[in-house]
Amino acid sequence: MIDFLQLTVAGLSQGSVYALLAVGLIATYTVRHVVNIAQGDYATLAGLGSISLVTAGLPLPVAILIALISVTLASVLIERLVIARVKNLTTLVSIILTLGVSTLLQAIMLLIWGAEAKRLPAFPGSDLTLGGVSIRSQELWMLGALVVVGGGVLLFYEKTRWGKALRASAEQPVAARIVGISPAAASVIAFAIAGFVGATAGVVSSPIYLSIWSGGLLLGLKGFVAAVLGGLVSFRAAIVGALLLGIIESYVAGYVASGWKDAVAFFILIIVLIIRPAGLVLRPNAVRV
Amino acid sequence: MHRAQRRLLVPAAVAASIALALTGCGASNFGGDSGGGETAEDGPIKIGAVLDITGVGANLGVPEQNTLNMLAEQLNADGGIDGREVELIIKDNQSTEDGAAKATTQLIENDDVDLIIGSSRTGPSLAMRPLVEAAQVPTISVAANAAIVDGSEWVFKTAQNDLVVLERILDDAESKGYTKIALVRDATGFGEGIADIITELGEERGITLTATESFEPSATDFTAQMTNIRAADADAVIIWGITPSAGLAQAAYVQLGVNKPVYQSHGVANDAFFEAAGPAADGVIAPMGRLLVADELSDDDPQKPVIDQFIADYSAEFGSSPSSFAGHAYDAWLVGTKAIEAAGTDPEALRDAIEATTDLVGISGIFTMTPENHSGLTADALIMALAEGGRWTLYEE
Amino acid sequence: MSYLNKAAMRSKTGFWPNNRGTILGVAAFAVIIAIIPFTASSSMMNIAVFSMIFALPAIGLSLLMGLAGQVSLGQAAFFAIGAYTHAILLQKFEMPGPVAAVGGVAAAMLAALLIGLPMLRLRGHYLALATLGLGFIVMIAVREWEFTGRTTGIYGYGRPEVFGIPIDNNGLFFWFVAPFVLIGLVLALNLTRSRAGRALSAVNDSELAAESLGVNTYALRVKVFTLSAGFAGLGGVFYAYQVQIVSPQVAEFHVSVELLLMVVLGGLGSVWGAVAGAFIVELLSEGLRDLIPAIIPGATGEVQLIGYGLVLILVIILLPGGLYQVVKSAWAAITRRRADASAKPSSAASVDGGSGEVPTRAFGGLPGEAPAGAGLDEATDAAASDARIPTVSTPVAAGQPILEVSGLTKRYGGVVAVDDVTLTVPAGQIMGLIGPNGAGKTTCFNMITGAIAPTSGTVRFLGEEIQGRKPHVGAEAGLTRTFQNLQVFSSTDVVGNVYMGRYRKGRAGILRGMFGLQGREQYAHEEIAHDILDSMRLGDVAGLAAGDLPFGRQRMMEVCRALAAEPALLLLDEPMAGLSGSERELLAQLLRALRDAGLTIVLVEHDVAQVMALADTVAVLDDGVLIAHGDPESVRNDPAVIVAYLGTDAEEAEAELKELEDQS
Repeated sequence: MIDFLQLTVAGLSQGSVYALLAVGLIATYTVRHVVNIAQGDYATLAGLGSISLVTAGLPLPVAILIALISVTLASVLIERLVIARVKNLTTLVSIILTLGVSTLLQAIMLLIWGAEAKRLPAFPGSDLTLGGVSIRSQELWMLGALVVVGGGVLLFYEKTRWGKALRASAEQPVAARIVGISPAAASVIAFAIAGFVGATAGVVSSPIYLSIWSGGLLLGLKGFVAAVLGGLVSFRAAIVGALLLGIIESYVAGYVASGWKDAVAFFILIIVLIIRPAGLVLRPNAVRV
Repeated sequence: MHRAQRRLLVPAAVAASIALALTGCGASNFGGDSGGGETAEDGPIKIGAVLDITGVGANLGVPEQNTLNMLAEQLNADGGIDGREVELIIKDNQSTEDGAAKATTQLIENDDVDLIIGSSRTGPSLAMRPLVEAAQVPTISVAANAAIVDGSEWVFKTAQNDLVVLERILDDAESKGYTKIALVRDATGFGEGIADIITELGEERGITLTATESFEPSATDFTAQMTNIRAADADAVIIWGITPSAGLAQAAYVQLGVNKPVYQSHGVANDAFFEAAGPAADGVIAPMGRLLVADELSDDDPQKPVIDQFIADYSAEFGSSPSSFAGHAYDAWLVGTKAIEAAGTDPEALRDAIEATTDLVGISGIFTMTPENHSGLTADALIMALAEGGRWTLYEE
Repeated sequence: MSYLNKAAMRSKTGFWPNNRGTILGVAAFAVIIAIIPFTASSSMMNIAVFSMIFALPAIGLSLLMGLAGQVSLGQAAFFAIGAYTHAILLQKFEMPGPVAAVGGVAAAMLAALLIGLPMLRLRGHYLALATLGLGFIVMIAVREWEFTGRTTGIYGYGRPEVFGIPIDNNGLFFWFVAPFVLIGLVLALNLTRSRAGRALSAVNDSELAAESLGVNTYALRVKVFTLSAGFAGLGGVFYAYQVQIVSPQVAEFHVSVELLLMVVLGGLGSVWGAVAGAFIVELLSEGLRDLIPAIIPGATGEVQLIGYGLVLILVIILLPGGLYQVVKSAWAAITRRRADASAKPSSAASVDGGSGEVPTRAFGGLPGEAPAGAGLDEATDAAASDARIPTVSTPVAAGQPILEVSGLTKRYGGVVAVDDVTLTVPAGQIMGLIGPNGAGKTTCFNMITGAIAPTSGTVRFLGEEIQGRKPHVGAEAGLTRTFQNLQVFSSTDVVGNVYMGRYRKGRAGILRGMFGLQGREQYAHEEIAHDILDSMRLGDVAGLAAGDLPFGRQRMMEVCRALAAEPALLLLDEPMAGLSGSERELLAQLLRALRDAGLTIVLVEHDVAQVMALADTVAVLDDGVLIAHGDPESVRNDPAVIVAYLGTDAEEAEAELKELEDQS
């Protein structure tokens, strides 16, 4: 039972990273209909960036803050320089384009930070043991980041006028204009949000999972799997899906074989897509792509 | 008509560009021997190396690369072998099996090397084995698993056999009265077969293997494995892997509050282990070569002068002390060049010369090869080391 | 009348490529293959060998992406399955090389078939990412499975032998693999021109229109996906031979990215481009591995990725057609100058679409020839009778029911678009379906043809229930249609569009297409397409790009396209809209003649007068409800119809209706 709980805790903290990335993916997908394959690379970029800043002698919070802002700006830059340049952004084009961005980001990280995994110092706090289940303080930070940042984005999109207009801008540009958001601005805001959320995932997870130049792709894909569980539109379903995915992965690693852990997400993806392509929460004929 | 003409262009352009790009100097692409004037006996001696310079094995391959470069430079500065210059060609296998195979093929076909050193890890070394055997090129691996050389005619190795390493670990465990051992091993070639050896060796020592978990060398999260190990409730745990993963596994182990003693393998014999494991490394016991505890060696140790010299040279050149892996590369170079000195570069003569290596004092131990034994080290090549305060110290058994 | 030269057409058939450019290219390629091992440096030779190996999966991916319009990020998975199967059959089962190779290709294709069956129902992002996931699954599976040698893989199976000669150096290996690339190239080129290839091309222009002509999109996509995997598997076989070990790295994502890059760089959908792309990417990779560490000291590892990323982004933004586009526009510029000089108008068109290439479609049209469709509205004084009437099918005797609709209903949320419509269409008649805007006419059509599934009710065509089935089901049985909003295949010419109408009368599949064994069939269909165009006075524009025609003529072309299928039931959705007076007259004459020949026609039309003049029976829909059905006279006098149409009292409405009819 202790093992079960231990695996659950590990799965939840891993799932919180997926959840943040899923939130970032949905933030851009709802506005721009682009599945950003580079989403996970935002996380590693922020992780590696903050590690360098800490190594350079900056205090941890300052380093993190700078990393978050930089990656947010980088995401906006990517939107302006790459995504916005293409007029006819079909599915095929958007996938190739963001794949190109992802590959480029990875190569840049490889050249700057080298091939080895690096670790950000753990955030303040002490680990605790509850009934034999040990919980790292960093895991609490990760879940906290999900609640604050992920929850914040969710509330922004679902409750505020601006957020709703942003969501609408893909289908109803006019509605968005009424609140004063041009489609271009909506796209920039969405990418900024995606960059910030991705970066958050990267810095909070680095002390446990480390940051490595090539790690973003798989993280981003798992975020995508979670987002698909929410039909690519529902933040709530994606967050729940991400936490579930983390937990299932953890159980597979613990009870089946650790090597199969990374395949779990894709089995789930393919099964879900075949059975319920609209996601687990929506009615099958609800609005989608 | 014009459409028909337009059709001509695409294929024609493709053809033209390929033809242009491919026109190089006329080399023969139909066999190993580049038909130049020099015969195999008077040109430079060509030694190829295939190492895990990037990827998960980089902690091993980079110091190996450094060592070989340094030794080749030294040798050529001293006039080479019998007046012949030694040309060292190092290739990166990116820590992959197919990278190792591609690099080996190139060394054999394009560079026509006389001797190959590598790879750093077991998997890539296994991938090289059939290629060098088919081409009959003497090869010295710097990886550990005995499967690399078992029954091989052309492949040798300089790292201590995993069998010997496990013997030392289990001897120590037996002396402390442990009866249940759990294993967390590397999922690649280095860790394969380890569980079987432990079971076999444990039998005569009254030790049983109660749990086995594995991890990828690229893994960063070990919670699931260590949770299972914790549940196995063994007397001691063997973590069998290379850095950084074995170090990260160590950290996760301590972090999960498993407080049983840990043995690690000779795969962690470098500073990277302490970087990855942090304070969790304290108290770990691992069998390894004498290199890492050089300052504690007694003056009458036959290896001491060789080791001290190597440490001095390496530190002067690269500003850090060498790892055991650097030592394996040193030994491979030593064994190989001594044999070339004795027998020249004729493949069969060279192989026979390597097999005739006797009492050659190296970094990891004293080598004696035979046609049956392509590994050359005995259990004496190992000492038990204890991790303490971020460095390895001689462990008094 | 037909300008087609039959001999020329015949020469285009058969296995070998059928135009000078392709023949020249293939010949040049063969020559290069023969001489490269003598001239290339050893490092170049190495690049040449790997570019040949990767050209195979790249050709496959190019077919999948260009022809079937599907993005696959998992091509490496099939490459790996081919390589592993080959290596395992050689090493563990000690099979002879050719058997193991066939096994490798077959395994890749089988895997693709099994995976494609469910996955190709997905669209867009989902399919792309599902294939990406598949790549990861394959990599993890081979890494974890004892049988596949776990992390180390399969090795020690030795090199191939051909006629007793061991293929143990790069030069011989190049000659070993290159002929397969050459054959693969020819097969792929043939496929792009074949019936199946052209159908897929049409699907990319308008899936609905293609399916309404009998194209089973899903089945074709599954076949191309499987074929593409076969190319990948063959590449894997050669890879296993060349590298002498198959380890999990062959399934890695970076391999899929590399393959994608080859296809994108070469020009999406261009087979030649894929081969060129393979070579350039291998060269780029090797070059960058040397270059980057020289510029940036200490750079190690997969530094070539920076080039991959940049090239992917730049090609998409600046050069969406890839190298194919560059070469093509450069050539177009040269020939335009030459053509200006000689002042010879050029017009060549054939159902074969001319070149051996499918145009890149995913990024929109390529710069092509200028349209020459001005001033087409010539007088049409001659009667249609001088042209042959297109053949029609008459599966049931006149007067017997051919189409039976019962209780047909469509609800969108709370809105009922079509409410319990029941009617029977007897064979050999023209039935008009009229009603005010938004009455549900097109929705009815869409349900009958399978474009949308009804909420309830049945549609029987020739006694078979077809409601809820895909459009190609009805089309195959002889039910074709036109569209209110035109659905032309813009990537081909006018005769190409009409030729697509012949789809259901053809039989050649992908295999026959690849081997070029359908020339006779294709020629016959093309001739019929020309005849039909002539009968509708469109013969003069047969070679023009379909999108360049004026609106009215596009509509006529759609009618021709539907007729080319030799339908038993023709559904026309506002065929008169946008036509000139003479065109209307021509079409009306043609429809009467077709009806007399036994064809059943249902037409939705706004032009009430036309319908009344043309139709044998008229059905009236209002607000989704069938309010009247009968001969034109009785419908015209039906008070409910009048009210529905004019929303005023019956007498006034009738006067207006009369007025309308008199005007036209």
